Amino acid sequence: MSFDNPWIHGLVMGLILANVALVITGYSIWFERKFAGRMQNRPGPSVVGPWGLLQPLADALKLLQKEDIVPRSADRALFNLAPPLTVFCALSALAVVPVGPGVIVADLHIGILFALAMGSLTVFPVWMAGWASNTKYALLGAMRSAAQSISYEIPLLLSATVPIILADSFRITDIVNAQLGGKWFALWPPGPGIAAFALFFLCSLAEANRIPFDIPEAESELVSGVSTEYTGMKWGLFQLAEYLHTFIISLVATTLFLGGWDGPGDNDGIIWMAIKSLTLFAGIFWIRWSFMRYRADQLMAICWKFFLPLGLVLVMLTALWVHLI
Amino acid sequence: MSLHATPHPKDTVKWTTVGGVRVPVHLLIPNLPDPFMDIEDYEPDADLMVLNMGPQHPSTHGVLRVKLVLDGEVCVKVTPYLGYLHRGVEKLCEKLSYVQITPIVDKNDYVSPMMNELAINMAFEKLIGAEVPRRARYIRTICAEIQRLGSHLLWLGTFGLDMGGAIGGGGSIFMHTFRERELLLDLFEDLTGCRFHYNTHTVGGNRHDIPAGWAAKATQVLAVISKRCIEYEDFVRGNKVFQARTVGVGIIDPVLAIDLGISGPVLRASGVDVDLRRDQPYAAYDEIAVNVATDPGGDCFSRYVVRVDEMRESIRIATELLAGVPEGPICSLKPVKLPGAVKAKHGQGVYSSIESPRGELGTFVVGNTVRRQSAIPYRCKIRSPSMHLLQLLPYICPGNNISDIIVTLGSLDPIMGEVDR
Amino acid sequence: MSWPTDAATLCQDRFGLEICEAEGPLVSADQALALATALKDELDFRFFVHVVSVHYPEVEAIAADEEKGIDAIIGTPDHTMVHYRLRRLANPNRSTDTFAFRIKVPTGESTPSLSGVWLGADWQEREQYDLVGTVFSGHPDLRRIMMPEDWPGHPLRRDYAIDTSHFPWR
Repeated sequence: MSFDNPWIHGLVMGLILANVALVITGYSIWFERKFAGRMQNRPGPSVVGPWGLLQPLADALKLLQKEDIVPRSADRALFNLAPPLTVFCALSALAVVPVGPGVIVADLHIGILFALAMGSLTVFPVWMAGWASNTKYALLGAMRSAAQSISYEIPLLLSATVPIILADSFRITDIVNAQLGGKWFALWPPGPGIAAFALFFLCSLAEANRIPFDIPEAESELVSGVSTEYTGMKWGLFQLAEYLHTFIISLVATTLFLGGWDGPGDNDGIIWMAIKSLTLFAGIFWIRWSFMRYRADQLMAICWKFFLPLGLVLVMLTALWVHLI
Repeated sequence: MSLHATPHPKDTVKWTTVGGVRVPVHLLIPNLPDPFMDIEDYEPDADLMVLNMGPQHPSTHGVLRVKLVLDGEVCVKVTPYLGYLHRGVEKLCEKLSYVQITPIVDKNDYVSPMMNELAINMAFEKLIGAEVPRRARYIRTICAEIQRLGSHLLWLGTFGLDMGGAIGGGGSIFMHTFRERELLLDLFEDLTGCRFHYNTHTVGGNRHDIPAGWAAKATQVLAVISKRCIEYEDFVRGNKVFQARTVGVGIIDPVLAIDLGISGPVLRASGVDVDLRRDQPYAAYDEIAVNVATDPGGDCFSRYVVRVDEMRESIRIATELLAGVPEGPICSLKPVKLPGAVKAKHGQGVYSSIESPRGELGTFVVGNTVRRQSAIPYRCKIRSPSMHLLQLLPYICPGNNISDIIVTLGSLDPIMGEVDR
Repeated sequence: MSWPTDAATLCQDRFGLEICEAEGPLVSADQALALATALKDELDFRFFVHVVSVHYPEVEAIAADEEKGIDAIIGTPDHTMVHYRLRRLANPNRSTDTFAFRIKVPTGESTPSLSGVWLGADWQEREQYDLVGTVFSGHPDLRRIMMPEDWPGHPLRRDYAIDTSHFPWR
């Protein structure tokens, strides 16, 4: 599907994809709660609608009805601006991710850089929220978040460099096209590919503040981190942004390493993209409900002492591979 | 790097004797932080932040308030504040008769109510001079061990929450331990009619006899939990993130711990082999051997190891006792019709203590010599182990960051109802 | 209850105290610190169990006659009896010894704080100060611990009026 005028194309595709992503995000919360329920010997949401399917709607309605509280000492403008901005940053990254052949909002020639940059940009609204709340817990959470995001951007970008070198392009569509026919970068070249995939996945978890790297939120230590003072839908927007971010990470990881919409034989199509990315998405939930969280200094130690050297080595190995082949 | 720390090996520990107690050498800390340090002495030009943690905080286990002075995220000084759950139980004890006090003290350590009842009734029996029949002593011991198991299960769950958060891996272990605790509460419901505040111990014995089939059911439940303990071990002990968060965190010097009056699993996790069940047998513990679990690590991981070992030991003791409960009466006194029926004859203070899941839980009670009030204690003081545990915070927290303080606090397992009373 | 012989001998020989079989020796406030140090350092009573203050109001002869049975304390002034209890851990035969002593503190006077000897006495002495009103001199941080800072009176004293209401509490 495409329109000749890039403006109209961007508007229509953007509207469709953003809404699909939001619905998937809403239902991913339902799925996660069911999944967690099964892991914890309980049924999960089961009252609202069949199998609790209307639970996301009920949650959204509940959040909208809640009283919107702005602390007296908070910086009103920044405090109100931060939650929509996090969602904006997360959704912007979606613009350059192709979810199927030709199904893309804007096929930028620096697509991968744009997606990662938008993902890292969430640190600004988060810091904004932490500062504007004027609460110590929020401030500590925001400081942790800033430190974590900035540190993990480096190995994240290094691991994303591996498919960029292999495909010889920054355009995500080109990267996917280079993998068509089963030549997934996670499998080929053997070794660096799968390691880069693992590195990208783990760093994205840290970037999206998911367990075991969710120290900025850390609700047992910092009450709720940056979202401590937020109520109602503003708090909901933070949650939405977190899940959106996680979803987009699984999309990007699929396009970079798992061949995007490449299916067995000639059966390429959007369905394969959906299967792969949602499997990754579920994997993130699985990790979340089985691990505890690291400490802030341990998190930094993992990044600087292990992930960063690993990323550098992987980039060098890949460059060597491309040079030799 | 602490990231891949491995638990302290048991066999390479060097021991020394301090004050007649055998303690591991590597746990002795030469320079302890000063809890009354003037913050100006720390570093006059440092940018310090005061963080009030609690009384409303998800991980302070109730309503503990801790004032932290932070340098960045590293703690410089810790001041705990108590009293947010002070209900005046000791004052109530001066207004109620001996048989009326039991349901009140149930609410002290609300995680293990059986222990409170046992502790206070043992003191009353000592004051009054009442004997406890052998069958009642067996029932008391079985209840105490099942309660210890339940209390440690709850601790394991909440410890997971402290580390992994309610919406994460910690929540999973929490849900699993609560599933097992539910089975134990069902057992107590069958025995006493109540799930939580039992009021089953009384002066001179117990109120409720074991119902038909209860022993078999209890044995079966304990066998189930014994199997599930292996699941927890798989889930938690080998978990690298769990080890990274607990090994070497919150190391407690055993000499300091003894000085502070700390007992129970926390002291045993610092390598001190002390257990009132074995050293000063009460109830039916003189008829069964108690293997005391110790670990020389002194850190949060050791406290986990000791508690899990104690869970297994409790299952063993309870199962063995259930097989041989003697026949006979369950109360040496006549069933109490009036609250004034149990009277003290002298005004001396007596003390008796038990090993609760948190340490030495004792009761000091003074009888009233005024004849009209001889059914009411003159003074009743409950020596709560949790209060001493919290006293440890100013000594072990400085130098750690907030995450470690939460884990350390969780590993101590204080119950605020018992601290404040 | 029988007390450990070495502790009893120490009290009798060095401090000239009379051992009460039920409640341990009655120590004067001047001797308390020296006795505590000797018990801890020489006899290894390192584990601090509890400190309890018990308040005894002044009993008048007429009241005592009515109540019949408290004639033992007729005429004694208003005082608190402070009970200390200690424990010796892990002797060779795997049993614990406890030892107790008490200090009689007339109201208005103070008793030396033993929190310098056993750190564990710190909060317990604060609690007894808060609830019973016994003043422990030399305590590093003698503040209220359970009750609010501005609470009037000490609730566990026998002459404390329990029905008094305190704003904002009832």
